[in-house]
Amino acid sequence: MKKCLSLMLALVMVFGLAACGAKPAETQPATDAPSVQPVTEAPTQAPTEPPAQTGMMVDTCILKEADDKMLNTYTLLAVDPQAPFTDADGNAVSDVAVNTAGADALIQWFLSQEALDLAGNYGFEEYGEYLFYVKDGAPVYSGEIAHATEETRVIRLSTTTSVKDSGLLGYLLPVFESAYGYTVEVQSAGTGKAISAAKFGNADLILVHAKSQEEAFVEDGFARVVEGFQSERISFLYNYFVLCGPSADPAGVKDADSVLDAFAAIADGEYTFISRGDGSGTHSKELSLWPEALGITKDPASFANYTKWYVSANAGMGACLVMAEEMGAYILTDKATFLTFVANDGVMG
Amino acid sequence: MGIALQKAISLIMSADSELLNILGVTAQMSLKSSLIALLLGVPLGIWLGDSRFPGRGVLLVLNRTLMGMPPVVCGLLFYMLFSGVGPFRHLKLLFTVKIMILAQVFLITPIVVGAMETYVAGISPAIRETARGLGLKRGKTFLLLCNESLYSIISSYLLAFSRSIAEVGAVSMVGGAIAWKTNVMTTAIMQYTNQGNFSLGIALGMILLALSLLVNIVISLLQRRLSQ
Repeated sequence: MKKCLSLMLALVMVFGLAACGAKPAETQPATDAPSVQPVTEAPTQAPTEPPAQTGMMVDTCILKEADDKMLNTYTLLAVDPQAPFTDADGNAVSDVAVNTAGADALIQWFLSQEALDLAGNYGFEEYGEYLFYVKDGAPVYSGEIAHATEETRVIRLSTTTSVKDSGLLGYLLPVFESAYGYTVEVQSAGTGKAISAAKFGNADLILVHAKSQEEAFVEDGFARVVEGFQSERISFLYNYFVLCGPSADPAGVKDADSVLDAFAAIADGEYTFISRGDGSGTHSKELSLWPEALGITKDPASFANYTKWYVSANAGMGACLVMAEEMGAYILTDKATFLTFVANDGVMG
Repeated sequence: MGIALQKAISLIMSADSELLNILGVTAQMSLKSSLIALLLGVPLGIWLGDSRFPGRGVLLVLNRTLMGMPPVVCGLLFYMLFSGVGPFRHLKLLFTVKIMILAQVFLITPIVVGAMETYVAGISPAIRETARGLGLKRGKTFLLLCNESLYSIISSYLLAFSRSIAEVGAVSMVGGAIAWKTNVMTTAIMQYTNQGNFSLGIALGMILLALSLLVNIVISLLQRRLSQ
């Protein structure tokens, strides 16, 4: 009797778990993806601080923003199925499956007035700030967008962690998916890995923000021109990186004339600076802002003399922000991630 | 820690649909991969432990080496094989739960084989004598061995299950941690950690451990009953 009972209990548990797994993935919320949100809105957090005061817990603040040197442009590129793909051994591969119809539809939708308006308004409700601006002269698309067919339903979009963490895609994509019937699978990684995913034939289009790497991608023959557009690189949104640091601001960044002066001041005073160090778009932008005389590049040997103050973290944006908060250091970050960081009170336990 | 515990409880109470999906995919993947690893590994392990033939030592060493295969290397291998330019691209398995299960089976089966071999090698001489005394043929001897090692078989299953539920290197590479499709607990924890959301990462870790505890309790009870 006891044996039967425990056997039945085991079977019930197994079936329960398996049934959980068999639940279809159709129940997607229409709101944005970060499942951090239900937690911060949970009543258990209310007694600790009223919403108006979030941000008081975090000492790091924005010291320099909206400088043209810190422009961060987001670009879409569609992968060309006829590109010179090579496998691991360097042999050419010809029949690589790329969902061109799906990529076209998604790019056309991103550049439609509806999507551009949505993107331009993103973030205002939540943070009281606009996180993305629509680029002047972005080629607005007003033509037909094909609906999904059985073959073209799944679209693989490869993007960077900064884009994914900003929550923009979680906000925009459900609108596209319900209107045209596609399913967009988003892979996010550092810029370098995001681009190589496309080169390995694992993505139908990419959304990145690193101009030199995008141009190399086009030159190597991996991008194609989408119907209704002129160029392979379709830049549609932009925002600014912001230079953040401790509120005490020992380097006087706030009063510096330009962001280049600010970086020079940080270097002169040898104030701690956290670098992404991972070849991401943010990292590339940061490298371009240091005074040339310092000779800081991607190569670790180039900043071996500055390790006292220059911390190459090789981590994601959020983790680096936590580091900067802990060490009272300066850091270059995108505004969206910074605002999420502050809204979650520096997300440290 | 206290905040993480609070978050864990409120997450479970709110029945956040994304969390439920992640738990579902995790359960599906780890139960299937540990079961397949068990079905493949147990016969192989018992046979290896019982038999004596030239080359057995080599197979054993090979198996033990595979036990130490770094999960991220396994993930990389499978990624390259099933990638858009890889030799198996036509199977279209990349970024699906199926390939995550496949990669995990490849990782976990050697461990199950090793565990069974260790145990069976110990009891094999005695069982063989008993079998000879009873006049049993090959097949029946094998079944006798299985019956005697039931306790060990279930322990190997728990070992396989814990390996599969805790694994992150291979599944993140081949699955791509795609939201609502191939995101499991461990890859979700990694994503939140990379975002800097450490307390949510720990909260999810606590939920994962609780799930693991539940499975272990049930199957250990089963094990105790069956071994009496």
